[in-house]
Formats: sequence, C-alpha cells, structure tokens
Amino acid sequence: MSKFSRTWWGTRFIDALESFTDSGRLQRGRSYASGGKVKSFEIDSNKITAKVRGSVNPYFGVYKEPTYNITIEITPIAKARWNDVVKEISSKASIISRLMLNEVPENIEDTFSHLGLHLLPCSNKDFKTRCSCPDSANPCKHIAGVYYLVASQLDENPFLLFELRGLSKTELQQKLAKTPLGKVLSEELNVKDFVVEASASLYTKVEKKAINEKPSVREFWLGAKRLPQTIDIKASSSVSAIVIKKQGDFPPFWHKDNSFVETMEELYKRVKGKQNLI
Amino acid sequence: MKVIHGTWIPDASTEFIQTGSFYLWVETPIETKAKTNNIHPGHLSKDELVNFLIQDVGIKETLTTLSQRISPKYFALPTAENTPLPSPEMTRYLEEADILEYDSFQYWQVDCYKTIVSVKVGAKYSDAINIGQLLNEIHFLALYNTSDIQLGSDLLFWYHYTQAFKQVILKDHYIPALKYRQRAKSTFEIYATWEIISEEYESNLKRYVEYMPLICVSGTGFGGTGFGGTGFGGTEVPHYEDVHFFERESLLRHFSEYLLHDIVTHTPSTVAFDKQIDDSLVNYCFYAHKYNPLKSDVSLEEFKQWSAWRQKITRTSHDASFNIGFQLHSAHPDTIDDWHIQFLVADKKDPSLKLALSEYWSMSPKDKTNVSKKFGENFETNVLLNLGYAARMYPKLWQGMETEYPCELRVSLEEAFDFLKESAWVLEDAGFKVIVPAWYTPAGRRRAKIRLKASSKGKSASKVDNKGYFSYDSLVQYEYQLAIGDQQVTPQEWEQLVNAKTPLVHFRGQWMELDRDKMQQFLEFWQSHGDEKPEMTMLEFLQRTAQEDDWEVEHDEFLSSMMSKLHDKSKFEPISDLAQLQGTLREYQKRGVSWLSYLENLGLNGCLADDMGLGKSLQVIARLIQERENSNGSKSLLPTLLIAPTSVVGNWQREIAKFAPHLKVMVHHGASRNQNEVFKTLCLEYDVVITSFTVARKDEKLLSGFEWQRVVLDEAQNIKNPKAAQTKAILKLHAKHRLALTGTPVENRLLDLWSIFNFLNPGYLGKEAQFRKSFEIPIQKDNSKVKSTTLKKLVEPLILRRVKTDTSIINDLPDKVEQKLYTNLTKEQASLYEAVVKDVEDKIENIEGIERKGLILATLMKLKQICNHPAQFLQDGSEFLPERSHKLSRLAEMVEEAIAEGESLLIFSQFTDICEALEKRIKQALHCNTYYLHGGTGRQRREKMIAEFQDPETEPSVFILSLKAGGVGITLTKANHVFHYDRWWNPAVEDQATDRAFRIGQKKNVFVHKFVVIGTLEEKIDSMIEDKKKLSSAVVGSDESWLTELDNEAFKQLIALNKSALLE
Repeated sequence: MSKFSRTWWGTRFIDALESFTDSGRLQRGRSYASGGKVKSFEIDSNKITAKVRGSVNPYFGVYKEPTYNITIEITPIAKARWNDVVKEISSKASIISRLMLNEVPENIEDTFSHLGLHLLPCSNKDFKTRCSCPDSANPCKHIAGVYYLVASQLDENPFLLFELRGLSKTELQQKLAKTPLGKVLSEELNVKDFVVEASASLYTKVEKKAINEKPSVREFWLGAKRLPQTIDIKASSSVSAIVIKKQGDFPPFWHKDNSFVETMEELYKRVKGKQNLI
Repeated sequence: MKVIHGTWIPDASTEFIQTGSFYLWVETPIETKAKTNNIHPGHLSKDELVNFLIQDVGIKETLTTLSQRISPKYFALPTAENTPLPSPEMTRYLEEADILEYDSFQYWQVDCYKTIVSVKVGAKYSDAINIGQLLNEIHFLALYNTSDIQLGSDLLFWYHYTQAFKQVILKDHYIPALKYRQRAKSTFEIYATWEIISEEYESNLKRYVEYMPLICVSGTGFGGTGFGGTGFGGTEVPHYEDVHFFERESLLRHFSEYLLHDIVTHTPSTVAFDKQIDDSLVNYCFYAHKYNPLKSDVSLEEFKQWSAWRQKITRTSHDASFNIGFQLHSAHPDTIDDWHIQFLVADKKDPSLKLALSEYWSMSPKDKTNVSKKFGENFETNVLLNLGYAARMYPKLWQGMETEYPCELRVSLEEAFDFLKESAWVLEDAGFKVIVPAWYTPAGRRRAKIRLKASSKGKSASKVDNKGYFSYDSLVQYEYQLAIGDQQVTPQEWEQLVNAKTPLVHFRGQWMELDRDKMQQFLEFWQSHGDEKPEMTMLEFLQRTAQEDDWEVEHDEFLSSMMSKLHDKSKFEPISDLAQLQGTLREYQKRGVSWLSYLENLGLNGCLADDMGLGKSLQVIARLIQERENSNGSKSLLPTLLIAPTSVVGNWQREIAKFAPHLKVMVHHGASRNQNEVFKTLCLEYDVVITSFTVARKDEKLLSGFEWQRVVLDEAQNIKNPKAAQTKAILKLHAKHRLALTGTPVENRLLDLWSIFNFLNPGYLGKEAQFRKSFEIPIQKDNSKVKSTTLKKLVEPLILRRVKTDTSIINDLPDKVEQKLYTNLTKEQASLYEAVVKDVEDKIENIEGIERKGLILATLMKLKQICNHPAQFLQDGSEFLPERSHKLSRLAEMVEEAIAEGESLLIFSQFTDICEALEKRIKQALHCNTYYLHGGTGRQRREKMIAEFQDPETEPSVFILSLKAGGVGITLTKANHVFHYDRWWNPAVEDQATDRAFRIGQKKNVFVHKFVVIGTLEEKIDSMIEDKKKLSSAVVGSDESWLTELDNEAFKQLIALNKSALLE
C-alpha cells in the first residue's frame, strides 16, 4: 500500500494532519502504518484509541519494546446542529444519491459551511491527540501512523466521517428517516449480514438427463425447432466496460493506485484483440 | 460425401473443476456393417481425419500435432440392426431409403478431433480452445466452396450459438469473479475466474436450448460402464431408457463459462499490463491457473468485498422493472442557452409507458403508492441509485440533483450539443433510455447537402407515346442546388450558416446540427459547378439515386412519379384488356405487363421474378400482343428471341398457341434447324423464335448476327455462372430490350443476381470483381446491413417479384390454380414410342376379344411409361437421368424452385416404380427432404411421415405418393404445390388426389401442375378429359377399360405420335 487514500475525502482528511505536522514525522508515521506497528485501534464515536508498538532505543534507555497508548479525538459537532445538517443533506438528491453509492459528494462541505461547520477536519483545532511515548512533539509519529490507518478506512466507509464528528450511525439513520429523501438513504444503510455463498463447482455442473420419450430420428439430429435462416448480428457497444463502470472506480477489492476502470478497459480491449480466437 | 459433426463434451469429473473440450468428427457413408466392437462403421478414423483436417479444412498444423489431438469418444446414436443410423445430411446423399425407425440408442466409438491450438501465454505455451473462428471457417467452407462437405446440424447449431455468444466478449459483458469452495473442517478455497453478466446472454440461452438437437448432448468421453449400469463391457445393449444425455441448458452454460475463462486467460499480455494488474484480484483471474486455489484470509476478505460489489452490479441491472430516461428538450430560439434534459422513468417491458419525475414528485401519497406498485418496491431508492449511476457516466447530471425533487438538468447550447454528440450514446449504451428531439433523429434530421435537381429530357418527357421509345438515349438532365433538408438554400444563407459560431443553429423554424467543414466543401463545389447542366442516362440516374448520400436527387414530376412507381409497383395502372389475347389476365398480371412496357419505354431492362405459378409466361405473351396492338401493324416488329431450358421449349410453344394463336412461332431446335441466311430471312417472318440455352450456345454466331426486338431468358438463373460458355454466348446477343424471368429468389444469391443484371444492364452493378468486393463479401461474410440496403435500392426498381403470400395476390387468385406443363419427348423416348406404336399397329389387325383388349391395355401402359422415362419402360436398370426425359428434368427444376421459395409439394404418379425412382432422384440429386407413401406402407409409418411432413418445424419437403395409396383420407396441407407426373383418365381421381393439399386447413393458394407430353397419347387423354369435363357426364368409368371399346382406327389415332411436335 503506497497511498493511504484514493478518494478525495480520504486525501483531504490526511491533508488536514499534514498541514501542521513536520514531514519527517509523517514519513515515519506512514511506515508505522504500513509496517504493521499499530497493534489495534478502535473508533468509538469521535474518539480513536490505539495501541502502537514503539521501538527499542538504548540511547533513551528503552531496552524492551514498549507499547504506547494513543487517543485521537476529533471535535464533535453538537447534537443540536446535526439536525440542521441532516435536514440540509436530505434536501439534495445529489448528496443522498452519492452517499448511497458509498461516495462523499465533492460539494458536501458547502452544505456544512452553510451552517458554519466542517465535516472534514481542516486545522489542528479539530484534533485533540495524546500519546504515551516520550516524544514531546504532538502529533508524534505514532499518532500519525494511526491517523493514516483511519484515513484508509474512510475510503470504503465514508459514513465514518459522520461518526468521527460525533454522530453515530444509528443516530444518523434516525435523523435521516425524518425526511422522505433521507428515508431512502436510511433504509439503504441497514446492514445486511454478509453470507458467504459457497459454490458447488467452478463452472455450472453439467446435469445428466434421461429421456422419457423416444425421439424421432429427425428430431434427434435436427432438434425440435429449426434454426433461424439468418444470423442477426447486433452492433457492438461504443462504450467499453459498461458493466463495471456503473459501480465506479476503485471497488473495495482493488487496492492499487492505478484506476480499476482503466485497467479493465485495457483488459477488455486485449481480450477482443485480433490474436484471440473469438 | 462427408458430414462434419461436433459438439462440446464435458469431462466426466465430479471434482470442483469440471473441464471440457469441443470435438469434431466426420461422418461418411456406411459401406460395411459394424463389427461387434461398437466402432462406428461410417466415420473418418484417426489417420483419415488428420488428412481431412489438413487438406480439406486447411488446418495449419503438423501431422504429429494433429494426431495427438485425436482420441476416441462415444456417442449415443439411434441404432437399428446393430448399425448406427446416418444423419439426415448424409441420408440425402445415400441410395437407400430413409430409415425412420430404430431399435434403441447405442454408444458408438468415434475418432474425434479436439479443437485446440497451442498459444503462447507469457513464456509458456498452453492449449486454448479454438472454436469460434474454426466454426466460422468450416461454415463458410461448407456453404460456398465444396459440394461434398456438409455441415451437420449439430455443428450448425454450434456455429449459430458461438456467433451469438461472441456478443458477451464484444460488449464486455463479463467481470472478474471469485468462487468460494467450502472444504472440510471449515477450511475453504477460493477460485478466480470470470463471470458473464448479461441479460442478452440469459435470453439467448433460453432461445438456443430450444434449437439444440439431442446429438449435441449425446457425446461422452468414457466408454465402458458408467451409463446407467450397462455399457460396452456387457453383452446387453443399452436400451434407450438407460441412455443418459446431458441436460441442454447446463451444457450450454458449462460451455459458455468455460470458453469465456479460456479466452480471457489465454489473452496475450505485456510486461506493462502485467504490472498494471499485479497483485490484484484481476491478476488472479487473468492468470487463474497460476493462483488457483487461493487460501489466505486476505483472499477471503477480498471475496467478501467482491461479493458485495457483484451484488450491486446485478441488483441494478436486473432488479428494477423500469429504466431511467433522459429527454432533451430544445431551447427557444430567443434563449438559445436554455436547454432542458428531463428525467423520466420508462417501463422495461413497455417503454412507451413513461412518467416524468417532475410529475411523480408532485403526486399525492396515494398516487405515489400506485406508481410504486407498478414500478416495483423501493421505487425511490432505485430511482436515486440509478440517477447516481447515470451521473457517474455523465457527471453533469449531479447538478440536476441538487434538490429534494430531481426532475431535470438545464444545459447551455454547447452542453446540449455535447450531450447529443456523446453523452447520450454513453447513457444509452449503459442501459438508460435517451430521447433526443425529433430534429436530431435520423428520420427528422435535416442535413446540408448538394441536391441534383433532375429533369427528364427526351423525345417526350411526361407522356410516352405509342411509337416513340426513349431507348438507350433516354437522358436525365440535372443541375446542382444547395439544400438543407428538403429546402433549397441561397448561397448567402449557406455562407451565413458556415460562419455561424455555434454547432447547433435555429434555421427556418427548426434546430439543426451544422457540419461546417462539409458545408464549406459543398459551397466550394457549388461555386465551381453551379452553372453546369450535366446529363446522365436513365441507368446512371438510378445508380445515383440508390447510392448517393450527401447528394440528394430531386426529381421533376415525371421522374418522381417514375421513381415512386418503380419502388412500389402496385402503383402501376393495369393495362386494358387485349383484344387478341385468348384468355384473361388477372389484375396483378395486367400490372405486370404495364410494368414491363413502362420499363421498355424507358430503355430499361428488368427481371420478372414472380413466384412459381403466378404466370410469368402469360405476362410475356401479353406483352408481345400489346406491343403489336400498339404498333398498329404500321411497321413490322423484329422477332423476339426466347431462350428457355429445353424442357420448357415445348411448353412455351403450346402456351403461345393457346393464348396468342395469331403470333407466328418458330422453334429453333434440333438437328434440322435452319442455319445462315435461310435462318435470317425466315426469322423476319416470325414474331417469336424459341430456342434452348444449349442451342443458344451452339449457335452463338448465328443468333448474335441478328438484331432482335427482345431477348427473353426464361429461368434466367441458367446464366448464373459468368464464366460458362452459355452465359458468354448470351451476353453477345443484340437486342433492343432484354428481359429475364426467374422464380427463384435471386436477391439471396448475390452472384446469380449480378450475372442476371450483367445480362440486363451491363455495368449497372459494376464489374464482377468490384461487385464481390463492394457487395458480396460485405453482405455474405460480414452481414453488412448498409451494403445490403444499398444493393436493394439499386436492384429494386428493376425487379418485379410478387409472392403468393401477398394479400393482393391471394385475393386475385382462386384458391386452386391449375396449370398444364407441356414437355416434349426426347429422341430416345420418341424412337421407343414409335417402335411400340408400329408393333401394335401390325398386331391389332389380327386379334380379337380378350387378346385384343389385353393388347390395348398393355400398349397404353407401355406408352405412358415411355412418356415418363425410358428407364421405366425398358426396366433394364439403366440410369434415371433427367437428360433422358424432359418431363423429369422439368419436374426437377420446379421442385428446386419451390423448395428454394420455402414451399412444400406433393408428387403423384400411378406407377410405384416411378415414385420410387423420383424419390431417390430428388433426394440424391436435389438433396431435398423427401417422404414416399405407397400401398405397402404400414399404418404407423404412414402416420409418422404425415405428422413429420406437416410439422411447421420440418423444412420444406417433397411428398411422393402413389395415386392409389395416397389418393384418399390423408391431409397434407403444408404443401401448396401438387404435381401429377402422369395422367389418369378420370379427373375425379386426380382431383381427389389434389385435395390432399387443397382441403380444410390450407391457408395458401394451391397450385396444381399436370404434366402433358406433347404429341403423344397424353395430350390426347388430356383433351378428352377436358371434353369430358365439358360434357360433365361420366361416359366412362374410372379406369381405362372403356378404351378397349374403340375401334382400331380410333385407337391408332389415339396413340399415334404427332411428329410435328417433336423437338429434335
């Protein structure tokens, strides 16, 4: 994982931290995040708590690998203000529709700033961070590491943003349900339990079938229905990769930085290529 | 004869991955019966198959490689007397009669070719299935090149199916996929593969399952036991109830999924692309064989993510019962930047059922509930989701959704233009419904073009007088105009448009799209050619009209009425009755004559291609009469040369004699035909000279040295081969008019069509090579719709083809149309006939009583046999060739024509040996599907044949019946042609036979064709029957015994051969 976020909101979330943290710490923070040093982290409303493995450093008298406790708190939006926010959101089909597609609309901050609020953190005023490490700088590399991991979760779950601002999912749903348009989103957010569907075979299993009635000789060879005299070939579509395009780029299983859609377009083109025996 | 068969055979494995392969095998005639080892006795064995693949199919592989790909497979085939039955494709080339019954299914071992090729994937070679391309090549080979290679219907099915399946690949209707396999102790494996996501594929499956013959699911890779307990090992032959076939749909799915996986995973890659997909799910799927199965927890996580993603894809494409639509509304000309894209929903099943979202939002809750009922649960959810998907394709749409109640998007002129040019197509391809303004649709679009304002110029333009022909010099004069849509535009207006700043302009009350580059070109062209007034011939004019796109041709009154008539021939006024015609023309025939004379007056040559039985020859005769009535005898017309197959020369002669006895006819045929100057001088005294194609070739010099009024080719498909000497000879003839007659649907056989047009109007369809390149190959190999439309436009004005199923024709025809077919005796028949007659004449004087009676009856029998075919009379086992009997050759020609038109027919004869010989001939030489019913046919078999013949799914077929066995009781209404090969004395018996087809349930007109051999007793019998009909009393019984009452002289007269009627 070379980038922690491929969505604009994830990137903005990271930008906020990077704007007031020195680059050396960020650098080390990134390697903490990708190097598996973060032992655990939990998000409870606007509060993130984590345990991070520190490093042995005899110079500082640290001979045994230490574990540091970290908390990051993001300034919550007051409960009362959330009513206004949700009301505003619910009045725009574009926002509801994009949230249903699991995306954060680019102009969402307009809605918040309209009410004098921010959804995404934008300055150090939005954070309260603490780390039990001896480093006096705040945020330290441990905080940065945890922060990057949270950012990468945002890509797949944009609703985490609301949670980090103090509105739990249940509360969000309850508030949404009050308006007709919001209700649609609220219902969509109901978690459907994922059930692993096991397949009995890789390709459809070929069944066997006994025949009850002895077919005539002609029917055996020619079939019961005559084939059409001509083959109707429809023009192929002018836009490639339609099936996957509707689901947007960077589906959850695609962890690469290059575009999934572009990659698939290239693949489809190759499959249709002249060398192939279709 | 070789019939190529093949099918998909899945491996017997019950493992998670069941593989499969496509196998080809070749059926040959069975010469020696099978031995006990169950090896199919009629197929190409390994070495023969390898040779066949290399030499005939042209597979470019080494002998060794191909040999390795050949292995025995087993097919459950219908088996009788321990021999597998041949396929219907093979049966048509076999001498024996069809076997309709079989004992059971039995497994037969067949050497099969596994259709794979070695392809390089990365650094390694691996076997890929080669089926789509291979089938395409074999199909083309069997269809157009070799006559002794046939495609089995199993392979034909697969050809059709793979063509349809291609769409999945061409439209990118598949996604990378993962399959989860549960293993013991709650462990798992995940397999990477590809999955088809396509509604079209699903509906194709349903459709093709119905077409799929059982042979396609009867193959298996394993001999020995395993088929319901019985097999090769045992002595017991498996009964059909024990045989298992594959279930069709699962086999098709297995094939499709396997093939898709195979195609994708054999796709060549590059280092760069490998890097692009490296370490991703796509990589696992693309190189599936390398990674399968995946077992890590990371993979399980990915599987979950993938499943959710896939579920969303299928949910939106399949679940909603409506489509979101976008309708662009044009701006008012005063506010040119105020365009609206309106949002609506359209019912999937009935797209005309539309509801604008603006209307929906303003509905009462009750009405909204009703809408939800119609368009399914979660209506609003689906609307929002789908709008979101649409906005992903066309992001501008988000702007239209910045509201609680999204109902439209407002756009500027430029944006509207972009929408029309691009986004609309993207949205449409993605399954959304897009409605553009009428002025942008192909029908409503006004385009800038150069118009040819054409006017007829000739001796008399708007009225064609009786004498004056336009002839070849009929000219069309034209001038250039600048036009938009159908309106002329001044150069000033044009220039203004060219200089317009926007791509869409509001011009003369309507919006239109401008193509400024093209308009600039047109303007330049007009500036340099605008003053010219060029001319072109009528043919060039038709060519232009058919082919021009940017050039539109505007007609003057005469030309536009001409074009509208030529494209819709029902607009022709029927000609008035002809005084000298001994008979009546039906309305459509009068219109046909009208069309003929109209074309000739324009100097154009046409092809009369009415269906068989609609009376093409009568229309030609009427034209000959009309032409003479019009010329008022003021000047004598040159004779018309009529070229026909030898078997119909006599018929033409008889028909002209019947309908136009005043026309003088010379038959130019036989060894004693006139030559040189004698011919030329003599010709001038006749109205019509009839000859055969053969003589036209032999007498090429003689005939081309004469200027004919008209050359008529009957059965013009005889000149379909441009390289044949016969065709070349006919092209050299000089005539004022040319006319081709044919009953076969020429428009489907492009080279035939070209050849006929090359005779009619040389150059009109280009040179042969040109025609191949620009029409034949694009239409027949690539299915080009554009080309076939252009060709149709070109030939349509010059072809008159009316089919029996046209309602106007049905109304115009009686339900039953009777027609006599006159044919001559061949030389061989004539000498046999004469010998018998002479023998009888000597004998009859000296005998009495029973003996005399016997002699008369025997003689009648012999003479009838001779008229049918010499082989029937001689009983010497000599060949039943059409060259020996014109009757037979005529029948064969007509059978071919009727079958080509998709019609079924009955043939009756009173002789079982003729019935047998006819069936064999028709099956083997014409390869038609045939049935034969005679006195010895068992009831069960009879019922079966009738049911099969009548089945609408059976191809057009020929049913041959002996008059005695097939004359009563049965219904064969699928046939609409009835042939009486020989005649019975009693018309009631013939009618009864005819009524097999002409009875309740018959929806078409029935055509009855009765053969009469000219100058023989058949002709006399025929006239007696006609007389008897007039007398309407049964003077005679239903058999021939009354003829024995004739006195010797009368009898001799009856059987005498009229030599003047001889052709050779």
